[in-house]
Amino acid sequence: MGTLELDGVTKVFPDGDGEVVAVDDVDIEMRDGEFLVVVGPSGCGKSTTLRMVAGLETVTSGEIRLAGNVVNDVKPQHRDIAMVFQSYALYPHMTVEGNMAFGLEESTELSDEEIETRVTDAAETMGIAELLDRKPSDLSGGQQQRVALGRAIVRDPEVFLMDEPLSNLDAKLRSEMRTELQRLQSELDVTTMYVTHDQTEAMTMGDRIAILNAGELQQVATPLECYHEPANRFVAGFIGDPSMNFFDVKRDGDTLDGAVFDYPLSASTLDDVGDVTDLTLGVRPEDISVAGDAAGDHAFSTVVEVVEPMGDENTVYLRFEDAPEGETFIATVGGLQRISVGDEVTIEIPEEAIHLFDGNTGEAVHNRDMEE
Amino acid sequence: MSNDARTDGGTASATDTGASAGALAGIDGYRVLLYLGLLGMLTFFLIPIESGLVTSFKTSSGVSGSLPFAPPTGSTFTLEKWQSAFDALGRGLINSALYAIPATVISALLGSFAAYGITQSDWKQKYKAPVLALFVAGIFIPYQAVLVPLSQFWSMVSLQDWLGFVWALGINDDYAGVVELIVTHVAYGLPICTVLFRSYYKNMSEEMIEAARLDGASIRRIYRRIVLPLSGPMFAVVLIYQFTQIWNDLLFTLVLVQTESSAAAPIVLILAGLGTSLEGQDFALRMAGAFIAALPTLAVYIAFGEEFAEGVAT
Repeated sequence: MGTLELDGVTKVFPDGDGEVVAVDDVDIEMRDGEFLVVVGPSGCGKSTTLRMVAGLETVTSGEIRLAGNVVNDVKPQHRDIAMVFQSYALYPHMTVEGNMAFGLEESTELSDEEIETRVTDAAETMGIAELLDRKPSDLSGGQQQRVALGRAIVRDPEVFLMDEPLSNLDAKLRSEMRTELQRLQSELDVTTMYVTHDQTEAMTMGDRIAILNAGELQQVATPLECYHEPANRFVAGFIGDPSMNFFDVKRDGDTLDGAVFDYPLSASTLDDVGDVTDLTLGVRPEDISVAGDAAGDHAFSTVVEVVEPMGDENTVYLRFEDAPEGETFIATVGGLQRISVGDEVTIEIPEEAIHLFDGNTGEAVHNRDMEE
Repeated sequence: MSNDARTDGGTASATDTGASAGALAGIDGYRVLLYLGLLGMLTFFLIPIESGLVTSFKTSSGVSGSLPFAPPTGSTFTLEKWQSAFDALGRGLINSALYAIPATVISALLGSFAAYGITQSDWKQKYKAPVLALFVAGIFIPYQAVLVPLSQFWSMVSLQDWLGFVWALGINDDYAGVVELIVTHVAYGLPICTVLFRSYYKNMSEEMIEAARLDGASIRRIYRRIVLPLSGPMFAVVLIYQFTQIWNDLLFTLVLVQTESSAAAPIVLILAGLGTSLEGQDFALRMAGAFIAALPTLAVYIAFGEEFAEGVAT
């Protein structure tokens, strides 16, 4: 069974006289056949985590268990893991067939005929059967990518590791391969750990997302949970494009006191907040309604500073009437709604859509209401 | 005469560029000067070789009776010097090949092994660095400084005695010198080979090696199936460089084989005394001998030329 567990995994690199903690006490449990996307900004330790699972980096402390067995000290060649690299890392002097057969020749006792059958099968799955006699240098980027994937699936490993495999492709091919990879993964049902910095890939591909920042695991949850119920301010800001708006506020009784606006809270939200006074108010751009006829405690007068038409929707940069110029937040409105720079519009920030984070720790104290 | 021939060649190439550019306006004063300058340099560098070549085909009276770079005329032309040079150097060619080829191949292979170890293996950096430092230091040891210790070493390690079973087969025991030359050249060629291969392996994709490790290959298998097949261009560079060095080296042969009368005398030793006698120098014979001695290095360069260019470019 291809379960993969990371238990308190830590990686410390020596750096001159000091040390750099690249991965800090990460716990992840993956069930068999799960597609987990590890996402985070560059330098967050996601690739290091993947390389520790592969055995290409040693683990400073903690345990990595593959199918229940601790593999910390198992050499990469004995871990039954296949990895797809960002650069594809194909062997340039071998044909596609040679590239795909290499792993089977080195790690199994299969006969030549069996290897050939498996290579042909995998090549057909990847749609590269007619390329088997070619050298990697004769292939396009997309074809090389398929060979790299084919080389991984032909080995039929316990776990696939993928290190930003799509980042060298152009945008159109990337979205094609994204769909194809998902299809392939659900077909093969192999546990897959997929590293990317691209949050679109994270949202669309994974069964679950693990978000890392500065070596620390922020949240492991389904894409929608990460989006609607972020564990902290970092996750809230990282997932979603355009990203969530944040306002630093102080709680004053049952009201949030921002620099240029006051936001009264209902009793149930106040329960969540408890006795925290320094807070960050978060609201997603699409939850801000720019209907124009809003009224009430949660309606505010704003000025439109910039409009970015995207076709299906407009990204609007708004400024509270009393706020200094340039201090904007973002709302998205329908593509057909007429709105232009300089307009004064009344917006509403509905209370059921707001997130509140502890201003000091960044932990979420209140997430938006979900309509179930 | 020879100047005329060169001018012809020069004009031909000038018209070529004009024609391919499709505009006579392309031939301006600067270009004319540039080509004249290049032609001058070409002549300067080729005259010695041309002189040597034409001299080797002249009779002794032809050599003394004409300018060095003038070609032989009907009465002064002869192939006899090449014939006698070949007769004199024939055994030297074989003796030289007997140590130059093994020493080149072994030093290139060992250099490749060592470089693989200090680049792509997962040994700790702190162990690799001192090893590399030793190799680099080895490059800068001048041969002259090691001549005395070297001859002392080979007098202690007496191959003449140790290889008695070989001489019993009827092989002249002078050939101990050839074995000594192989070992010596491998030892002194290894540092430069290692450093050349190291720079090549440093640039090799690390992800590719990691992919091979994950594919289940051991460190030896990765070398044999991935690194070695991709080392072709650097092997060409090292083989050409090492072969030329070893083939042309006179110093070690003087110390280890010593005399041209030895049965194992390499070509450089015989060449040193060729055509020299009390009556004076036989220039034609010496030139013919020099060309014969240079032919193998030329052949190696032509054989690996394409890979050489690729290896130097990386």
